[in-house]
Amino acid sequence: MKQEYYPWGGEFTDCSPDGCVAVVLLNIEYTPPDKVAIYGSLRTENIGIEKIVANVISNPHIRYIIICGDEIRGHRSGSSLIALNKNGIDKQHKIIDAPGAIPYIENIDEEAIKRFRSQIQILNLIGVKDKKTIDKTIDDCIAKKPVSFGEPYIAIQIAPEAKVNLTDKRALHSKIIVDYMGKIKKRGE
Amino acid sequence: MFSFTKKQETFDISGIKIGGQPGMNPTVLFGGLFFKGEPDFRFAEKNLQNMYNLSKKTGNPAIPDFFIKKEEYIEEIISFIEKNIPKNYPFSVDIIEPSLKIQTLEILGKKNLLSRTIYNSIHVGITDEERKTLKKYTPEMAIIVAFNPKDKSPDGKIEVLENGAHLTDMGLLDIAKSVGIKKILVDTAAMAPGDNSGAAISAIPVIKEEYGLPTGCAIHNVVEKSKWLNFFENARKTVDASSNINIPLFGGDFAIFGPVENAELVFPIIAWQDILISEYTENYFGIAPSNSHPRRKLS
Repeated sequence: MKQEYYPWGGEFTDCSPDGCVAVVLLNIEYTPPDKVAIYGSLRTENIGIEKIVANVISNPHIRYIIICGDEIRGHRSGSSLIALNKNGIDKQHKIIDAPGAIPYIENIDEEAIKRFRSQIQILNLIGVKDKKTIDKTIDDCIAKKPVSFGEPYIAIQIAPEAKVNLTDKRALHSKIIVDYMGKIKKRGE
Repeated sequence: MFSFTKKQETFDISGIKIGGQPGMNPTVLFGGLFFKGEPDFRFAEKNLQNMYNLSKKTGNPAIPDFFIKKEEYIEEIISFIEKNIPKNYPFSVDIIEPSLKIQTLEILGKKNLLSRTIYNSIHVGITDEERKTLKKYTPEMAIIVAFNPKDKSPDGKIEVLENGAHLTDMGLLDIAKSVGIKKILVDTAAMAPGDNSGAAISAIPVIKEEYGLPTGCAIHNVVEKSKWLNFFENARKTVDASSNINIPLFGGDFAIFGPVENAELVFPIIAWQDILISEYTENYFGIAPSNSHPRRKLS
């Protein structure tokens, strides 16, 4: 199932493929029940969030994200994910009103973000570490029996364009070359 | 093992030299304190002393890197620095939260500690207020993290240093200079496995040849994020410590090696590596090791 529904990889555990809930763990020791679709930890307010977006829109059954545990200091990743869901990104690809230090979404396109914002409703349990409260929130979401969002959306990871086609076997990198002894100089000089 | 065509800068902070051609100055080692839980000052004092002793034995300079994560820790950590770091030794402050960065700079300024301070770090998330504060309370040295959320390759890292990759109004190097920081270290921003983790190492010679600035990273973070190592628990510490040899091997100048208690393993490993490199670079490129180099102290 991991291959099929969650193509972006990351630190997560997939459980019930038809589950409607994804659980995002901040600073918390808690294992969600198997009835959720997927759960995993979130550390960073940029790449971490991108992986969550890609790995929930790829499973249309997921309609809720529950964010729980203490906020990640400095990164404020949980609050930044909420801001993305609520506000989207600006022209500079910055999550609007995100409190994190570097809240930029650069590797996923705007269509995917639009889909994320339409498909997913976030339940904010930041600061909550009580198992009973989180379990109950999961049960409440499941009890709503939300319908699937339709087709899976496989977000394409935007790769930087390669500017130089390397044929030089001595090359360590496009900007430098290394001679047989290890002397480095700038390419083209 | 490499040598660079571009002239390499060597910066001095409180007598510690960072940078230069590979094989010249020993690799500088940053040991972290107070990453987890509440600051344990007694534990820190013991580990700090141990790190300084290892530094004395090997010749590799030791710089304590203080992680400040809560407002209420600022004063007590700075008091600890005043009491426990010898008066002529440098230290770095590692802070994520912008508001804490500002408060810490102000206190360091008022206590006349900025001439020994390495600011960790400037990155694309820098705020206007942080810039203003850095201008007023300018640390002697700063680490610039070349993290580019869009492009994690060496090219992407150069892009944020050069022009900010459209995330800032100018390149990070120009931002540092505009606030008055003259001594700049470049951290190549180690990423998790699967996110081009190797680029943090391959970017070292690229950045050194491009700018001639002292360069390094916290490559041990990649080990921390290699979850498959949980199946080899006995090897984890060794892998963590030895990951740091990649830095001097690729021409780098400093390693931010993680918790200070790992110094016991890291210092001898890096001293060994520095000797190996120095023997090569002296033979092939005529680079003589400095007086404090492990090759002079240990071999």
